[in-house]
Amino acid sequence: MTTKSIDLSLEIWRQKDSRTTGVFESYQLKSISADMSFLEMLDVLNEKLTREGLDPVAFDHDCREGICGMCGAVVNGIAHGPEPETTLCQLHMRHFCNGDTIVIEPFRSRAFPIRKDLIVDRSALDRIIQAGGYISVNTGGAPDGNAIPIPSATAELAMDAAACIGCGACVASCPNGAAMLFTGAKISQLSLLPQGRPERKERAMAMVSAMDKEGFGNCTNERECEAVCPKGISIRNIARMNREFVKASFFG
Amino acid sequence: MWFVSFVKSSIGKKWIMALSGSFLTLFLCSHAAGNATLFSSISLFQAYADQLHSHPLIISVFSKGLTLTFAVHVVTGSLLFLQNRKARNQRYKVKTRAISNSQASSTMIYSGLFILLFIVIHTSVVSFGDHGKIGVTISEMFRSFFVSMFYIIAFIGLAIHLSHGFWSMLQTFGVNHPSYNSLISRLTYIVPLFFLLIFGTIPLLFLFGMVS
Repeated sequence: MTTKSIDLSLEIWRQKDSRTTGVFESYQLKSISADMSFLEMLDVLNEKLTREGLDPVAFDHDCREGICGMCGAVVNGIAHGPEPETTLCQLHMRHFCNGDTIVIEPFRSRAFPIRKDLIVDRSALDRIIQAGGYISVNTGGAPDGNAIPIPSATAELAMDAAACIGCGACVASCPNGAAMLFTGAKISQLSLLPQGRPERKERAMAMVSAMDKEGFGNCTNERECEAVCPKGISIRNIARMNREFVKASFFG
Repeated sequence: MWFVSFVKSSIGKKWIMALSGSFLTLFLCSHAAGNATLFSSISLFQAYADQLHSHPLIISVFSKGLTLTFAVHVVTGSLLFLQNRKARNQRYKVKTRAISNSQASSTMIYSGLFILLFIVIHTSVVSFGDHGKIGVTISEMFRSFFVSMFYIIAFIGLAIHLSHGFWSMLQTFGVNHPSYNSLISRLTYIVPLFFLLIFGTIPLLFLFGMVS
C-alpha cells in the first residue's frame, strides 16, 4: 500500500520570549506523509530547521495520545484544528490537501501569556483548580467502594464533565477569551457527586472568583468552546455552574 | 457585601443581562398587545392610548422602571463588550468560527446599539410627543416610505438580537436540559418572528393604506 504524501506551506507564529513581540514566518515542507500526525509534521519541520542551523519551533506536547491536554495550537483559526473532538496530536495530515497553506498560531488570551513560539503558560487554569477544585477527605481507613450509592445517570454526567483535560482550547476559541467551559466542567464534576456536595457553595464562589481574577473574559454564550473541545464537554456544564454560583451567592 | 461582589463577578453580570433582558422581553409583549389594536382601527388604538394615559401613576412607575432596566441592560452590555475585547490582547490572524450559526451571537453589541438608536428616535417622536394625538402622529409618520423602512429594519435588528438573546437568557439562568432543549431551540426562532410579525406588519399596513 502506498502512502499519500503532500506538500505544504506553513505560516507559524515565532516569538522569542514573553517580552518580545512575535511575527509570522513562512516555511515550505515537501513530501509529508498523510499518515503523520500534526505534531510529527512539526517534528519534521524542526529537524529541517535544526539541520539548517535555525531555531526549531517550540510547541507543547506530552502523551501524543489525546489524553494529557498538553498539546494545542490554533490551526487555520480553529483550536486543535478542523477535526471535531480531536486534540492537535491526534489530528492527522490526511485531513489536509496537497498545496495547502496552514496558519499555526498559539492559544491567544490575556490570561495565557506566550512563553515561546506556540508555547503558552496555562497555569491560570491550575490556579482555578487550586481555589476549589478538590474535595476534603478526613484521614482514616479507606472507605468501602460502593458505600455511597450513586445513580448511573448522575455518575455518567459527572464523568462527562471530568473528561476535561484542561488543554485550554475553550479559552483559545472563545471570542471573549472566557474560561467558563473549563471552570463549569470542574465545578460540575464535583458538585454532581455526593462526595463533592458538602463544599459545593464555597467551591462555586472560590473557583468563579479565581477565574475572574486571572483576567479571562465573560461568557456571552457563543458556544464556540463546546464546538472545539477535544473531549466534547457540553455547555450544559456552564449552565450548571451559573446555577451553582447564583445559589451560592444568594443563599450561601 | 455579597451583592456588590455578585454584580462585579462575570456570572453576576451575565445574570444581570439575562434578568434585564427578560424584563425587556415582557415589556415587548405588552407593547405588542397594545399595538395590535391598530389591526382593528386607529380610533381603537387612540382609545387604548387615552385609557393608558388616564392612569398617571401606572405610566410613571412603568416608564421609570423601564428606563432603568433598559439603562442597566445597555450599560452592562457595553461594559462586558469592552472587558471581553481586553481579554484577548492579541488578535488571531485567521478568524474562523467552528459553529455555523454565529451571526446573531457575534453581533449582539451592534444589533443592540442599533436598537438603542432606534429607541432614542422612536421615544423622542412618539412617546414624548402629544399622546392625545398619537393616532394621527403615527399615521402621518408611517405614510413616509423611509420612516416605515427604518422601523422595519429596526424590527429585523430586534429579531436578530432576540434570536440569540432569548436562548442566551435561558442558558444563563441555567435552563439547559436535553428534555427541553428541542423546545428551546424552536422558541429561539418563534419568539423573534412573533415580535417581527406584530411590529413589522403595522408600518406595512399604513404604507398600503390598509388601516381603517
